Amino acid sequence: MSAIVLPLVIGAAFGWTLERAGLGDARKLAGQFYLQDFTVLKVIMSAILTAMLGGFWLGRLGIIDLSAFYVPETFLAAQAVGGLVFGVGFVLCGLCPGTSCVAAASGKGDGLAAVAGLLTGVLATGLAMPVLEPLYTATALGTFTLPQLLHVSYGVVVGGVTLMALAMFLGVERLERRA
Amino acid sequence: MSAGRNLAAAALVLGAAAPFAGSPHAASRATLDIEALAAAIAAGEDHVSALQLAQWIRDRKPGLRVIDVRSPAEFAGFAIPTAENIPIEALTRAEFAAGDTVVLYSEGGAHAGQAWVLLKAKGVARAYFIAGGLADWRDEVLSPVLPADASPAAQAAFRPIAELSLYFGGAPVAGPAGSAATQMRPSSAGAELAAIRRRGC
Repeated sequence: MSAIVLPLVIGAAFGWTLERAGLGDARKLAGQFYLQDFTVLKVIMSAILTAMLGGFWLGRLGIIDLSAFYVPETFLAAQAVGGLVFGVGFVLCGLCPGTSCVAAASGKGDGLAAVAGLLTGVLATGLAMPVLEPLYTATALGTFTLPQLLHVSYGVVVGGVTLMALAMFLGVERLERRA
Repeated sequence: MSAGRNLAAAALVLGAAAPFAGSPHAASRATLDIEALAAAIAAGEDHVSALQLAQWIRDRKPGLRVIDVRSPAEFAGFAIPTAENIPIEALTRAEFAAGDTVVLYSEGGAHAGQAWVLLKAKGVARAYFIAGGLADWRDEVLSPVLPADASPAAQAAFRPIAELSLYFGGAPVAGPAGSAATQMRPSSAGAELAAIRRRGC
């Protein structure tokens, strides 16, 4: 039961927060790509910071067990191509999979269209899987994390990402003030 | 200061302290009761035979997890049916349920024995390894041999072993000692066939 209730609560909170941040509006989202509106960057970086610092410190204090975290596997080629397709779609419709659901939930027509396109794309990929399989499973690196890539400790990566994120916030604020 | 600046300051403090905090993974701070481990090793409670594992797999023992601690490339070449590939460096991050029976194996058994110590340090109650590794699996399960001069009791005991071997696509040999020696290892064609049979199920 909790496997259904908890995700429902978390999902509702997530959707509510996105809508409140204004990310249900395609114009705001597309503005990120034209470097006019940096809301997307700020929301994503603050989410990364919160989850990363929370995960690291709660794990360090023994409050949570980090081995319970699901770490997706890396498939370099497939994820690069998929990311490109995702990026093109994002700029075209001004919505990403999560925010399209948020927009659809607010009754926006473009949100509903984006959700329909999303599901069609998923179906088409599934049907085309025999053709796509070589790309899908190529360059498998397993669960590959930044600490492994850079050969530094987890804590150093956490510190580095924090500094990078805060620097981005400062930089973006300066850009927006000038605009 | 606004709420945003307060949060940014908090993030800065936490982030700056992170490189000096050590590892957040609980497993990095695991402890070992070496007396208990030494006693378990001496009593032989640390390993199981390949035949025992084969029986557990065939009987679908609940909570059984067969872990291959070799590299993914070696795992793709040949693996015990139902095995999961968790290379030894990833083993400390793996999760095991309380009631699980974990059986580790590697090519010759050395890495599996080391992995056994790691799992014991993590607190896995029922962890074992195959002492002779995959070599044992090939000898005992895939090509068990019954010498020609075996007693009737030995022949009777060999029958369930032969059945088990056939279940896993092996080739049990019951015949003169001379011909048995030449059939010690399955041919590459035989191993391929066994692999195809496994995939088909």
